[in-house]
Amino acid sequence: MEITFAVLLWGVRILFLVLLYLFLIRVFSSLQRALATENTIAARPTGLAHLVVQRTVRGAFRVGDRLPLRAVNGLGRDAGNDIVINDEAASAKHALVEFADGEWWVEDAGSTNGTVVNGEVVRSRERLQYGDELAIGRVALRLEQ
Amino acid sequence: MTSPISANIRSLTLTLALAFLVTSIGAAYWTVLASDQLANDPFNPRLIAATNDRPRGAIVDRNGSPVATSEKAAAGFIRSYKDRTLAQVVGYASPKFGLSGVEAAYADSLIGQDPADPVSIWKARYLGDRAPAGQVLLGIDLKIQKAAADALGGRKGAIVALDPRTGAILASVSVPSYDANQVVDPSKQDAAFDQLSHSPDHALLNRVAQGLYPPGSIFKVVTGAAALENGFDPTKKLRVDDPYQADKSWGDYFVRSASHAHGLFDMSDGFRLSENIYFAQVGLQIGAAKLTDYAKRFGIGSTPNLDLPAAKGQLSDSGSIDRPTLLADTSYGQGELLVSPLQMALIYATIANGGVMPTAHYATEVRDADGHVVRQIAPGPQGQVISPNTAKTLTTMLVGAVSGPGAFAFGAKIPGVNVAGKTGTAENRPGEAPHGWFVGFAPAENPTVVVAVIVENTAEGGVTAAPLGGQVMRAALGK
Amino acid sequence: MIHAQAAVPLGRGRFTELSLLIWVATLAITGFVAVLATETSSFRPTAVVVPAVFLALMLSLHVFLVGIRFRGDQILLPIAAGLTAIGLVLVQRLASDLLLQQLSWSIIAAGAFAATIVVPRDLTALARFKWTWALLGLLLLIAPLLPVIGREINGARIWIKVGPGSIEPWEAVKILLVIFFAAYLEEYREVLSHAQRRIGPFPVPPVPYLVPIVAMWGIAMLVMVFEKDMGATVLFFGIFLAMLFLATGEAFYAIIGLGLLILGGIVAYQLFGHVQARVDTWLRPFDEDLRFGTGYQLVQGLYALANGGLIGVGLGNGMPDRIPIVWSDFVFDAFAEEAGLAGAIALLALYLVFLYRSPASRFPSLPTAARRL
Repeated sequence: MEITFAVLLWGVRILFLVLLYLFLIRVFSSLQRALATENTIAARPTGLAHLVVQRTVRGAFRVGDRLPLRAVNGLGRDAGNDIVINDEAASAKHALVEFADGEWWVEDAGSTNGTVVNGEVVRSRERLQYGDELAIGRVALRLEQ
Repeated sequence: MTSPISANIRSLTLTLALAFLVTSIGAAYWTVLASDQLANDPFNPRLIAATNDRPRGAIVDRNGSPVATSEKAAAGFIRSYKDRTLAQVVGYASPKFGLSGVEAAYADSLIGQDPADPVSIWKARYLGDRAPAGQVLLGIDLKIQKAAADALGGRKGAIVALDPRTGAILASVSVPSYDANQVVDPSKQDAAFDQLSHSPDHALLNRVAQGLYPPGSIFKVVTGAAALENGFDPTKKLRVDDPYQADKSWGDYFVRSASHAHGLFDMSDGFRLSENIYFAQVGLQIGAAKLTDYAKRFGIGSTPNLDLPAAKGQLSDSGSIDRPTLLADTSYGQGELLVSPLQMALIYATIANGGVMPTAHYATEVRDADGHVVRQIAPGPQGQVISPNTAKTLTTMLVGAVSGPGAFAFGAKIPGVNVAGKTGTAENRPGEAPHGWFVGFAPAENPTVVVAVIVENTAEGGVTAAPLGGQVMRAALGK
Repeated sequence: MIHAQAAVPLGRGRFTELSLLIWVATLAITGFVAVLATETSSFRPTAVVVPAVFLALMLSLHVFLVGIRFRGDQILLPIAAGLTAIGLVLVQRLASDLLLQQLSWSIIAAGAFAATIVVPRDLTALARFKWTWALLGLLLLIAPLLPVIGREINGARIWIKVGPGSIEPWEAVKILLVIFFAAYLEEYREVLSHAQRRIGPFPVPPVPYLVPIVAMWGIAMLVMVFEKDMGATVLFFGIFLAMLFLATGEAFYAIIGLGLLILGGIVAYQLFGHVQARVDTWLRPFDEDLRFGTGYQLVQGLYALANGGLIGVGLGNGMPDRIPIVWSDFVFDAFAEEAGLAGAIALLALYLVFLYRSPASRFPSLPTAARRL
């Protein structure tokens, strides 16, 4: 069959379908990789990242302590928290630090004195970057890998 | 305890995924499974749009005489129909009202995309490179068609002639007819179509395949065949005393003889004199199960395999014969039976063809624009319905019914040819004149044509119909 | 461990996103070429400018995300871009005079996308004013019924007159009501899911909390009967039931709600001609008395689907223009005719991944999950 404009055009039309599927396959493989990553992270109990104590009060941590983080971590004075902060200025349930969507987030849990990141009060939910300083009561913690 | 929202999200996502699956199945159904049926739906604009700017293929009779062609008009091409008596068979191809008849059934062939030609289909579908349209050749012979149309004259009814060896339909007349040219003429189409679709005469209906009538005596061959194949002795004489009832349980219900007969009848007499009481007794002797079985074998109550729309008729309202009076009435063709002329023609074609039922078809060939045959349309036979011996016995009796002493169907006689046939006078709704039937074939020793005639509402019944059958057979045999 | 460590996309480039966007670009260009090559006679410059602007827009969104070191999902943006690209190709195919309008909506959407990332998410503000949103949504919902500004187009009274044209307030209503539902359900979640009493398997929450559920059902029925928009009814009530389920985890709420909807539908079917016509058309569009009347559009749509087959007739090569208002109502059918079952399934799969990926990002708060609905 001679290659006419019509045949070429048909080729382009078929190419569109082929590209659509190649795109779909790439989407699926990316999805699979992303899910594998996220599942691995979720399966790891600790050691995702650490909060390193910068400032503290008597009876709480020592400066330089590395506190391992889970995927979801409750912070506060109460003994039921993942990270117990032994400071009267901290509320019983003070804040929540969690790993979601490939990022770290901090959320104030309705504390009396508020949660502060890099000197700014957390209003509802803020993204945390590595190196950010999180202040709860008189304790200061830095997010590190 | 409150379930965590993440679990709820998972459940909801799963539910929605199921909804997507259902949607995909729906898409698969409409795009692939229902595709063929919808692609050839007579109202699908794609079929007619393919021939907006180019001629549609011609429809021709078996000798190549055109019955439908495309003519160049001011706006694109317009269809021209040559033979009004073939209106319901050929149909119309209207951009507004869709397709009907052969125009619909062979729509793909008429736009140069016959299913037997995948290369043309592929080129048209994907490259927009449409092959010039070919022709569809009908089994119709315009000479026989004219004889049939002349025979029926203006009377309401139908005539079908077919070749019992192949099932090819040679003539097909349905009266009243209409002028399909008006349906495709942009200036007249609305008025014409409106009038046609509301006409009480149902001119759009192809009475040959879609008209349903009580058969009357022409059905007696089915009772006869059932009896012969179940050890019934056709020479045994039965007493006929008009009026007849099997026993007192029938109350005031009687089977009546058309000739008020009293005497002894064998099966030949029964056919020759069309004796209802004889066949009522035969039916009662063989029983409802056997009669039902043979009626079904002969295609009563099922849609005939045809390339145009066809009605299926019925054995009875309930589909079974559930009481002795209904069995008696059905045995001579009344009761609640409904059949189309085509179904009756096929039953007689089976007898003519040594017990093998052919498959009826209007078109016989598809040709491309160069005249090469793309596809032969030759559906094989439906199968052996009755034994060759039974067929032979019935043929002999049907010859007697035309030319025996006092035979009812004498009007169908052709000099020098043995004609087999049977008249019927089908009782209708009370107060309406009966329908007149004739079904027959010739030459009896080696049949080449079967004809079924129905004349609606005629006082003389079968006597009116028989000579019309004779005329058509004569034209078909060239006598 | 080492493998997972390497795959965690922290602080590096967004290569997955970039490579997927390149696929989108190839797809969009091929689609436009196929459509334009078929309709060379009606060529307009927008057919080249619009896809170019769109692709530049997607690229700049990507650069923006890289720039702010956004470490979130890399798949959602390319899927949205891919779907929008297919949308643009189809607008060019079916109603090329609307192409510029479609692009402007894409630009607005891209802006909104960027804004949700930059602007701090203060969802409490949305929650605090929930009754305001509800009232506003309700007003917009009934606005088309008002005498002067309301309009009935093609048998549905869902439009309001604004200046020379008319808009469909329903689109805004959807978002407002979702915000309201989310805030309301977040607040009363505990009460609703801790039903003290049960009748058999059915939870019976305290009566005052049931009032909004019944009210929502009532509104849905009003929309069906007076605005004659069956689609909006089902979507509106469907969103509500889905969110009720998200909040409470009680499938029985959804089942009861569906039951109510079906019940209301049956009653409306008996009482109102337009509901009856719509249902009949859906059930048997090919009926002699419907196929040229109310069923016409649907039947033409089904013909288009049937012409699609497995791989379609190719972009630009079908006859979707036989469907009335195809560019607004039957775009899927048009796509399925030209891209076939293969294309249709790919399209559905893209939507499914989009859907799956959204809640899978595991935001724990209800308003965020709801927004993705």
